[in-house]
Formats: sequence, C-alpha cells, structure tokens
Amino acid sequence: MTTLSRFEIHQPASVLEASQMLAQYGDDAGIYAGGTELLLAMKHAALNYRHLIDLKVILGLNSINVRNGSLEIGATSAHRSIERSAIVRQNQPALAEMESQVANVRVRVTGTLGGNLCFAEPHSDPATLLLVLGGTVRAESATGAREIPVAELIAGAYANNFLPGEVLTKITVPCAKPSHRAGYMKFQVHERPTLGLGLWMETPDDGRTFTSARVAVGCVCPFPTRGVEAEKVLTGSRGEVEKRLPEAADLIADAADLVDDHEGSVEYKRHLIHIFLRRVFRKALREPVS
Amino acid sequence: MKERSEFAVVNHSVPRGDGIAKVTGSAVYTSDMAVEHMAWAKVLRSPFARARILSIDISQAKSQPGLIDVLTGGDLKGLSPYYGHGVRDHPLIAIGQVRFVGEPVAAVIAEDELTAQEALGKIVVEYEELDAILDVDTALAQGTPRIHETDFADGAFRGFDDFPGAAGNICQAVHVAWGDVDAAFAVAAHIAEGEFYFPMVYAYAMEPYVAIADYDAKGQLTVYSSAQHPFMVRHDLAQVFGLPLNSVRVIVPYVGGGYGSKSYTKIEPLVAACSWKAGRPVKLQLSVEEAFLTTRGDDARVRIRTAADAKGQLVARQATIHLNTGAYAENSPMVCRKAANRIVGPYRIPNVKIDCFAVYTNTVPASSYRGLGGAQVTFPGESQIDELAEKSGCDSVEFRLKNLAQSRESIHPGMRPIDADLPGDVREAARMLRMDRPLAPGRGRAVCCSASDAGAHPVTLAMVQIYADGSVSVLSGSTEIGQGSHTVLAQIAAEEMGVPLEKVRLVGSDTAVTLFERSTGASRTTTLMGRAVLEACREAIAQCKVMAAEVLGVPAEALVEERGGIRSGETRLTWSEILEKYFQMEGCSIIGRAYLRKAGDLKLVPVFWEIGVVGVEIALDEETGRITLESLVTIGDVGLAINPAMTEGQDLGAATMGLGAGLFEELIYDGQQLMNGTMLEYRVPRFSDLANNVEMKLVQNRDGVGPYGAKGGGEGAVNPISPCIANALHQATGVRMRTLPLTPERVWKALQEKKARAST
Ligand SMILES: Cc1cc2nc3c(=O)[nH]c(=O)nc-3n(C[C@H](O)[C@H](O)[C@H](O)COP(=O)(O)OP(=O)(O)OC[C@H]3O[C@@H](n4cnc5c(N)ncnc54)[C@H](O)[C@@H]3O)c2cc1C
Repeated sequence: MTTLSRFEIHQPASVLEASQMLAQYGDDAGIYAGGTELLLAMKHAALNYRHLIDLKVILGLNSINVRNGSLEIGATSAHRSIERSAIVRQNQPALAEMESQVANVRVRVTGTLGGNLCFAEPHSDPATLLLVLGGTVRAESATGAREIPVAELIAGAYANNFLPGEVLTKITVPCAKPSHRAGYMKFQVHERPTLGLGLWMETPDDGRTFTSARVAVGCVCPFPTRGVEAEKVLTGSRGEVEKRLPEAADLIADAADLVDDHEGSVEYKRHLIHIFLRRVFRKALREPVS
Repeated sequence: MKERSEFAVVNHSVPRGDGIAKVTGSAVYTSDMAVEHMAWAKVLRSPFARARILSIDISQAKSQPGLIDVLTGGDLKGLSPYYGHGVRDHPLIAIGQVRFVGEPVAAVIAEDELTAQEALGKIVVEYEELDAILDVDTALAQGTPRIHETDFADGAFRGFDDFPGAAGNICQAVHVAWGDVDAAFAVAAHIAEGEFYFPMVYAYAMEPYVAIADYDAKGQLTVYSSAQHPFMVRHDLAQVFGLPLNSVRVIVPYVGGGYGSKSYTKIEPLVAACSWKAGRPVKLQLSVEEAFLTTRGDDARVRIRTAADAKGQLVARQATIHLNTGAYAENSPMVCRKAANRIVGPYRIPNVKIDCFAVYTNTVPASSYRGLGGAQVTFPGESQIDELAEKSGCDSVEFRLKNLAQSRESIHPGMRPIDADLPGDVREAARMLRMDRPLAPGRGRAVCCSASDAGAHPVTLAMVQIYADGSVSVLSGSTEIGQGSHTVLAQIAAEEMGVPLEKVRLVGSDTAVTLFERSTGASRTTTLMGRAVLEACREAIAQCKVMAAEVLGVPAEALVEERGGIRSGETRLTWSEILEKYFQMEGCSIIGRAYLRKAGDLKLVPVFWEIGVVGVEIALDEETGRITLESLVTIGDVGLAINPAMTEGQDLGAATMGLGAGLFEELIYDGQQLMNGTMLEYRVPRFSDLANNVEMKLVQNRDGVGPYGAKGGGEGAVNPISPCIANALHQATGVRMRTLPLTPERVWKALQEKKARAST
C-alpha cells in the first residue's frame, strides 16, 4: 500500500452535473461515495483516478422512502443508516438485519449501499440478499435513466454494467409481505465473509407450503449467483422442501462458479452451502437455527 | 523485607501515567513528529526472492521536481553496511543482490512523501533472477546454493551468549542434551511421537515501523524511532557509521506496540544512511503492508517424541526443531536458543536431547515474536503431554501434577532452579475452569502450562534524581512500548522515596540521557529495571542519610529511617528537607544510581522463569469446524504484581495474541510472493473472539529476584494457548491436530477424515 496519489475532488450540485463530470474526465474520473473501497483500491494502485466526484454532497441522495410497495434507498445511504432506519426495519427486516452485519461499524457508518453494489466486490453481502429480494437499481446519466435488476448490474468480480457517465442513484427493494419469508446468513473467518446465502420464499399458509422461492449464494464464487435450478425444488410442502434441501444445496453449488482461494477449498465451500441452506431456511421461518 | 500490606504505592492498581494522553490522542509517537528541514524517504522493494541486481538506473527519478537524492547499495562507500546483533548479515539496503520479495533496493529522498513515491516509479532496476530457496527442506538439501555466500562477523550479543553458528544455510544451531534418550526410549512404557507445525506469523502492532534520522554536519547522529531496544540500535548505528557511542543518540517516544516486531534494529540504519547521503534529516514511515515485509515470526516444524514409564513419570523427550528464519538472521539465533531450551517444558525429565536449527530461506526475515520460540515449541510439547497422559490412562491435570517441577527444583542442569509454584498454578487453573463439571456436546476443556527462561542477559543501569522540592525523576533506558513500564517504575520510585506518585517523572528512553539497558524484552523490565530503580532509590537514600547526620550533628547510625525521610529523636526530616539543609540552596538535586549485571543473585540464568498457565473451554461447531472460546482462565505467577490490573492486562493480552496463531493467523506464501500481507487478509484476533467468560488470577509468592520478589509476566500466557485449544478439541472430538492455526476448514477436514476412518 502506498500513499494516495495526487487527485482533485469535485463536488457536483446534482446527479446531472456528476454525470457530466464523469463524461468530461472519462477514464481519469471515478465516483467517490464513502470511499471505503475506493481509497483502498487507489492506495493499492488498483484504481488510478485523478478526479474524484464526490456524490455524498448531492442533497437528497441518501434518503430512504417507501413508494408503491417498495423501499427506495438513495445511493449514498450508509449501511449504518439503513440498518437503523425504522422504515427499512418495518418494511424489509431481512435487509436491515443483513446491513447490521456488514463489515464493522466504522465501515458501515461511512460505506454506502450504492458504493457496495457498484464496486461488485465478490464478497458483498447486500448484493446476494438483493438478488433474492428482487432489488433493482436506477442508473442516471445526462442522456437519461434506466432501471436495472441487481442481477444485471453485476458483470463479474469488480465489474459492473454501467455505461459511461452513468451514476447509481437509487436502490429499489419490494417491501416484505406477510406471505414472504426471507433471510440472509453468512459465515465469516476473515475480514470479508467466506460464504453468504440469501433465501426468499412465498408461503400462503404461514410456512406449511411454499409456492415460490429465490436463493442466491455469494463470496464462494466471483459474483453473487442465483440458484435458479435450486429454486425449482424449494417449492411444495415444508416437509418436501426440507427433504430436498441437500439437493437444492448441490444445485446452488453447481450454479455457482466455486473457486479455491484462501477462504477455502471448493469442497469446503460446497459443504458450507449445505450447512447454511438448512440454517437460513430455519432462520427465514424465524426458528432456532441449530 | 516489607510485608505486602505495608505497600503504599506498589501492589496497587494505580491508573496508567500515560493513559489520558493516549486515549485523548495527545501522546506523541514518532509518526507525529517532524524536525526542521526534514525530508521524506520512500523505499523501492525487490519483486524477486533471489536475484542479482545488474543495474539501477536513477536518471529518470533524478529529474523529478522535489527530489533530493536517491540511495542505493552502490552509495555506501565509507560505511560498514552490514548490521545485526546476532550475525552481521543484513545490509542496510540491498548490495548487489536481493534475498526476499520486499527487500529494500533503493530509497528515494524528497521534499515530501508523495514526491518520493512518484520518483520510485521512475527507477529502473535490472535483475538476473536466481532460483529462490523458499522452504527449509530446499535450503538444507545437498547442492542447494548458500543464501549468504560469505561468513559474517558476529554481532554484539555473540559475546554474551556462547552458541556457535553453523554452515550452509543453517543460520544457527543449538543443541541441548542431558541423560541418555535412546536408552530411555528403549525401555519406556508409553511413547508419543509426531510432527508439528507452527505457522509463519506477523507480530502485528498498530504502529508500523517509523524513524527520523539526522546525521548532521558535525558527524552527530540523532535518531527518533519506534524501537524497542534503543541501546542495541545505537550499537548497530555506531558500527555502521564508525561513530563513537556518544555521537549516536537514539530517542524513543511512545511506541505503538511491538510484541516482538520492534525488537532490535529495523529501519534505522537505512534512514540514517539516507540522512547521511542527503545531508538532511529524513523520515521514513512504513505502511502496515511494508511492515509485513520487514519482519515476522519464525515458523517451526518440530519432530518430537516424549516417553513415560509405567507409573506415568516422564522419562525422556527428544526433538528436532527447524525454524524458517527467512533471509536474514535478525533475532532468530536467539529464538533458536530459546526454542531449544523451552521445548523441555516445566517438567522433570531425566533424559533430554534437543536439536534446533534456524534456517535461512528467501522469505521475509524472521525475528522475535512474543514468547521468543515459546509459542512455537509449547504447542508440540504440551500437545504431547496430553497424548502421553491418555496413553498412561491418567487424567491430564494429574499427569502434569505428577511431573511438574516443584518450587526450587532444578530441571535444567546449570540453570536457576524453578522460582514458581507450578503445581499450585496448574491446580488452581483446573479449579477455576471447574474441570469436574460434565461437558456439553461439542465442548472440550484443557489446562496447559509453560516455563520460559526469561529476562535475557542482565545488564541494567538506572539513575534516579531526587530534587530538593520533593519531586523525583527516574531515568530509565527501558522503552514504554504500551506494557506500562513507565507507570510501574514510577510506582517503585514513589514507594521507595515516600513521595506521592504524581511527584515522580519518567525520563527516557534517550541514549544520550539514560544509562544502558540491554533489552526491553524477555519480560524483564519490572524485574530488572524495577530492581535497578529500587536500588538507585536506596543509594540516594544512603547519601541523604550521610547528609542528615552531618546536618543534625549526630552519627548516621542514630538516625531512624521512616518512609520518606528520617527521624532523630523528636526531629523528623524528609529527603527533600535534608537536601535543602545540606546544600543551603533551592533547586538542588542528587543522583542515585544502580548498575545491575550478571553477578550475585543475578549470576544464574535465567533471571527468572516466566510461567504461562492457561485453561480453556472451547465450543466447536462440528458442521463448520469453527472453534470459539467459551471460557478462558489465566494464572499470572508473577511473584508480586506491582500493578495488578496491568499485570492481568498482560495475561489477557498474551492469551488473546496466542489465539491468533491458534485459530486464525498464518502468513501464506504462493511461490516467492507473500499473499496475505495486509490487514484485510491477515486475520488477527478481535474483541469478538474473546472468551465469553474470562477469569484471571495472580499468584504472588514473592519468589522472584525483582523488586519485592516480583518476576516478569506478559509473554507467559501466549505460549500454552494453542496446545490448550488443540487438547480441548481432542477431548471434544478425539481428533489430534498437529498443524496450526486450527482454522474451521482444517478442523472440518480432520473431522471428515476421522469419520471416514471410522466407517472403513
Ligand atoms: C474493512 C472492510 C470490511 C468490509 N466488510 C464487508 C462485509 O462484511 N460485507 C460487505 O458486503 N462489504 C464489506 N466491505 C465493503 C463495504 O461494504 C463497502 O466498502 C462499502 O459499502 C462501499 O461503499 P462506499 O460508499 O465506501 O464506496 P466507495 O469506496 O466510495 O466506492 C466504491 C466503488 O463504487 C463506485 N461508486 C460508488 N458509488 C457509486 C454510485 N452511486 N454510482 C456509480 N459508481 C459508484 C466508486 O467509483 C468505486 O469504484 C468491507 C469493506 C472494508 C473496508
């Protein structure tokens, strides 16, 4: 790690202005939100920006609201404010709970949800959960705006699908309904999680049967991955679903591109998916985990 | 000797003298400092583990605005550029070749740090890469070239301890033997045998290495540094620059932790050479990532066997220890010596044969790590005690009690008899852990212990100044490295001089002002510097008594000493009143001094035996392999705790540090490259890793050679933690782990293998 190289900070008054700055400086410019990833990457010379565009100074970009049955979270909302937001806790408790477990309190106070998603770090907790909660993000630029599902935002490890000049402004997450069950669990040894597992299920009868499910795994693979085949076997009566959890775990592991790294071997990661799918299933049903 | 209850200041948990300054951020560390006209240095590091340097082109860098100078290995004419207190093998900057990835190859000196960094990118170095020697087996194999092609001169401490180095890539060999191990193993009833591995670790301290050096026009060298051993640094600098000792001044402000990593000379010769070349004061501040590339702890492979007779009495222990010492000796010769001594453990063993080798490899140089070889060898040693207890059909605590040295018993021929109550300590730990309670599933409990020959070579000189206004200064060459020594030494001076603690000021470390102290290490400061301060106070008091006799016109024998002064009949005089009457002048002071050396009751080594006794109850998540600590108990057998709260803090700190290598910490090399040398990837213990229940106890039998019978603490508890966890895991699962750290995956795999074995 080295000393930060020379750079200039720009403080746009609006998203439009930020987007124009991005266009003006091109590859020399980057968005600066909390800086918790950005500054480390710059110190390691993994990113070399001469112009930083400070998004935090744009008023209103950190607001949290409910509209049309969805949570709308401004891109510069810090993890800590999402974790503590009464609106989030009420409308999507699984999200608030996950946020309370991100990193450490210093990072949560500074780091933003927008920054987390844009950076596409393979060990992101929010990205994995948002995949199953059906989250979308709004990308705005001088030429327009578009709504992108979180799944399509992430292009790979450390890569997103933004077009030049696009700024993430908002994360939209459908509110939880009484018929929904959702949970997120992670297993962590090092500074970043070894495994993250998100599960969402629809149950019309208070957990006796499940009519649809979404499951995603993160950290064990280059980017958070939905277990689409696994979701198919996670419907039916509770007994059937529970019996098929090992099968579902294998399908999730098959879908993800598991990698050997210093967090663990492929074999161990596959095993952890089994253990944590069972645990997160219980957790989503608000039952003791083990 | 005073009764314990009589102490006014010592044996009380007074608040730390530096507590408020440190908590509020006003304490000054070297990083906070600047001197006039100061320039900044940055270091270009080798990308290869072993290579010849063919050329270094600095012409591009030279044109960088703001650049002052560049230092390379070709610029050292007139200096003796190799340093090292054990072996003088370490060039202050690479000369002609590099021996590990991260070795300094060039240093840029510029007006500011950023400019220096920018210029680094413009230096072009041409290397001829050579086959890197990355592990001990390769280093020792027939035909492997030598990492150091020449034999180096001995450093300063070779004169103190006599242990010859060896040849080839062996940096140091130490042999310890008594009795006849072969004969003993031949007839033993029970033998445990195995190979163990203790990982490569980094003694993480919050403050990375930092120094400011000013080599002035008059040839006087002043260095501010985060150094633990200022007098050893002074010695090395004097040698490198050919200066008399009085021309090298090393000043140590507050130090942000060391745990071994700050011991002996580190970046000071390089920074001083930058100043010497540039003609300006120069500051070099390393990042944590660079600190990872500066020093580490020796990883250790230990082949060991231990035997007991049919009655469960230990009869023999034999071990071969290979330490991976990295590219330069640093303090590893001493680690080698200590590992060889310490693997015997605190037991009565009639036949012992230990062969320990520190081996050069092309990796980051290894040096001290808290416990100095103790953690590396207590893991195999104490694991095997449990294995033997099981084979003997004996409870592991009972087995230890049967074999532990009693107080005053001699277990290492020629060394000081044990000055601690080991059986009492182990019994107490077992009681505190409530070993007799039934265990829940996935739980395991164990108690482990260690005894380390601590204190290093006893040469400790101190001064106190007693002022006529009742204030006192202690001039000490011991470094306040966070352990609280400034507070403890002040307590001792206040106790002896009978003045309030607030009236005592600590001065030091500053080699131009304070007297020689060989080491702030080996847990010795309270014992040796504490005793020197006590004796210096006594010497000042003796002077005061002579003065009082003259002032009062009575024979000195007629004076009765009371705390803080004397009485003669109805007349009472404090020490300050005596000084004022004697000199008839305000503002005077006198000096009391003490020179401790290896003589008298300090002649026998070690200065004291440092005891580590811990107990743990672990909880295992069998599905993931994750181990957490349910309970931790520590026993601090410290003779007398000058400051009980800080002493317990040392025990808890040492035990927590021990958790690191026990459960998480391991530097990982992929080929030549250190893969996880950052704080994001290298996992040190956190507060959340602490045990749910912690109970600490101090045993105060006043059986040490230090002040009031005190002995050192601070490194003891680090040693037995990892075997304690491994033994508790064995109790919980029947799985014996011989490789650290006990990461979840490693434990899970071992459980899988056990299941596979059971089903075949
Ligand atoms: C010690 C540590 C531990 C961590 N542990 C965890 C963990 O357990 N789980 C987890 O999920 N994460 C973890 N993180 C990551 C943390 O969550 C992220 O650092 C944080 O949320 C990133 O947000 P930021 O605002 O700091 O982003 P920045 O660092 O400011 O930006 C990150 C990247 O995104 C770009 N960017 C930021 N905002 C926008 C935007 N609105 N539009 C377009 N581009 C943008 C930036 O240009 C940059 O490339 C950890 C980080 C650290 C340092």
